[in-house]
Amino acid sequence: MNLEKVVFGFFVLLAATLNFGFFIGDIADPALHNIYELFAAVVVSLIATVLKFGDRTQIGAVHLATSLVADLQLITAAIAWTYAAHISADGLTPAAMASVVSLSGGALFANVVSVVLLVVETVSFHRR
Amino acid sequence: MSNPLLAFWFRLFGPDDDRTSPRMRSRVPVVSAARASATIFLILRRMRAPLIVLITIFAISVLGLTLVPGHTEDGQPWRMSIFDAFYFMSYTASTIGFGELPQTFSDAQRLWVTVSIYLTVIGWAYAIGSLLALVQDRAFRQALALQHFMRTVSRLREPFLLIAGYGRTGELLGESFDALGKRFVVLDADEDRIEALELAAYHADVPGLVADARDPGHLAVAGLANPHCEAVLALTDDDEVNLAVAMAAALLRPDLPVIARTMSPAVAERMAAFGTPTVVNPFDRFGDHLRIALRAPASYQLMTWLESGPGAEVPARGDPPGEGRWVVCGYGRFGRELIPDLHAEGIDVTVVDPVADQAGHGSGIVRGHGFEPEVLQQANVADAVGFVAGTDNDTTNLSLVAAARRVNPGLFVAARQNRPSSAPLFAAMNVDSLLVPTEVLAHEVFAQLSTPLLWRFLQEVPARGDQWAARLVDCMTRRCGRHLDALWKVRMSRADAPALVPWIDSGGARLGDLLRDPDDRDVQLPVVVLMVARDGECVLTPDDDFVLAPGDELLLCGRHAARRALDTTMVVEAAREYVVSGRHVPVSWIWRRFSGAA
Repeated sequence: MNLEKVVFGFFVLLAATLNFGFFIGDIADPALHNIYELFAAVVVSLIATVLKFGDRTQIGAVHLATSLVADLQLITAAIAWTYAAHISADGLTPAAMASVVSLSGGALFANVVSVVLLVVETVSFHRR
Repeated sequence: MSNPLLAFWFRLFGPDDDRTSPRMRSRVPVVSAARASATIFLILRRMRAPLIVLITIFAISVLGLTLVPGHTEDGQPWRMSIFDAFYFMSYTASTIGFGELPQTFSDAQRLWVTVSIYLTVIGWAYAIGSLLALVQDRAFRQALALQHFMRTVSRLREPFLLIAGYGRTGELLGESFDALGKRFVVLDADEDRIEALELAAYHADVPGLVADARDPGHLAVAGLANPHCEAVLALTDDDEVNLAVAMAAALLRPDLPVIARTMSPAVAERMAAFGTPTVVNPFDRFGDHLRIALRAPASYQLMTWLESGPGAEVPARGDPPGEGRWVVCGYGRFGRELIPDLHAEGIDVTVVDPVADQAGHGSGIVRGHGFEPEVLQQANVADAVGFVAGTDNDTTNLSLVAAARRVNPGLFVAARQNRPSSAPLFAAMNVDSLLVPTEVLAHEVFAQLSTPLLWRFLQEVPARGDQWAARLVDCMTRRCGRHLDALWKVRMSRADAPALVPWIDSGGARLGDLLRDPDDRDVQLPVVVLMVARDGECVLTPDDDFVLAPGDELLLCGRHAARRALDTTMVVEAAREYVVSGRHVPVSWIWRRFSGAA
């Protein structure tokens, strides 16, 4: 058993699941989207990115790219939330919430690609 | 090259595909070339753990801060939002500290903040410490140097030489080639030498790398595969390394000339098995030089002057001894090379060496140290004419020379200098012929690579006799002064000398007319034509009535100003017309139309 692979797989999958948990539900209803879930998704996604640093294989490079895309989407979602809740005069309107959740939806797509890559890597790695 | 980033990198900075044959590119390894881009990966790999620690600490602190209950100033229960907590942790962790924002904290919050302050400080210190350690890490610096080196070499867009080994010889050659405006690339296993290279005041930027030249990958990084590479010089002081470099160059780039240094005939044999490298053994060459110096001092003076590189002063003409016996101290690698040369000149030799076995060649052997009076007496230095101090120790050589001169002041003394630092001592000793192996080597390589035709000219010199050489040296010093400014080659072709072509085609192109000053044609330019090459034939020192033909190549030496003036004559038609006939013709097209001198 390769501990590095286990840790990495754990974080990739956790980032995707947290992301999905935040994304699921009515897109404009703040009550259905937990801010802590978004926070956890950002943190786990960042850790998954750092874990892929310095991997020089072809699939590792693609992994890093998708991971960076997910980070970008999630951080943008967090900033949009902060803007709506703290800076804009209107507060957390359904429109603002919708944009936050749709951004996280984009990240979810990148995370799904990450998971697919993980599965591909696992399947194509034969060690007899 | 499995990584798309690397592939992209090679697209941008890799060798020019169109200029290298596919066969050649497949030959030269790119393994260490790929290693050269490892720097960024090294940083990322090393920073993995500290970054994850930092992210985790931040996440825990921020999360805790949002969960800990607080209260506003009017006593309402209040919790921090994630944004507030992240803001607070950012300025606290980075030790900036703005105080308790946006509300004054409760004691519970303060307790949590205390814990997180300690955590984050440790995290930051760990991350920054790792980064600093990485920057000072030897492997990292090497990777960085390799990457920089590779980039500079692959961006070279002009012909360059690949020099393996930057010792004293490399330094001398570097100065000479740099003065000629030739680029070169250096590999050396010794870090101090590469630092010396970086400190050297060269005009051009000289890429240098601390690397073992025995590794073909390192040679590839240094531009062996580069189509602009002109020649490979193996000049390290280790014969094994030189052999490896000569081999690698011959196998990977059979089209390149290779010049290798060696001290042993056996290694020279092994080098010759690979292609046709030019093998230079300084000891062997010194013997040849000594023979020329004994037979033809002026020829020897001319050759040394031309080989010494740009700006060299004319060396003094030696005064060889007459017939008689020579005493050679030291029967090591040098003695073994020199004594057969002396025998070939018909000179009797007495060898003095503490551990000499049978020296053969019918030489007499005296066992012992040459600086002991009784040994000198045994070797009968008193009635010898020549004396060679050829051990591998400078102190010993100096005391040998002193002891021999005390016995016989009129001796012709040749000495071997091993270390550059001893140069002033040998200069003060004023020996008649000094062997500095590194300089012999440098001159030899320079003569072969600096100017095409020079090597050919030097091959011809000994056969022309001493009188001719003496006249040529006089002519050169009279016209160009006592310092050799420049040696260069011009070709009478449409590309190099467009203005001369019609004149040469007319069949009356006297060399003397070409060498007139384009400002005042009654003045002869300070230039000497050493040789004209035509269809493989050479004419040495042609006179002023020599008639030029299309395609002739001239080897000239003279002042820089003269070179510029000659270039003017070769390119500008009006200058050529004036130099040849004395008529001033208009230069510009419009004026020519007016004057009707189309």
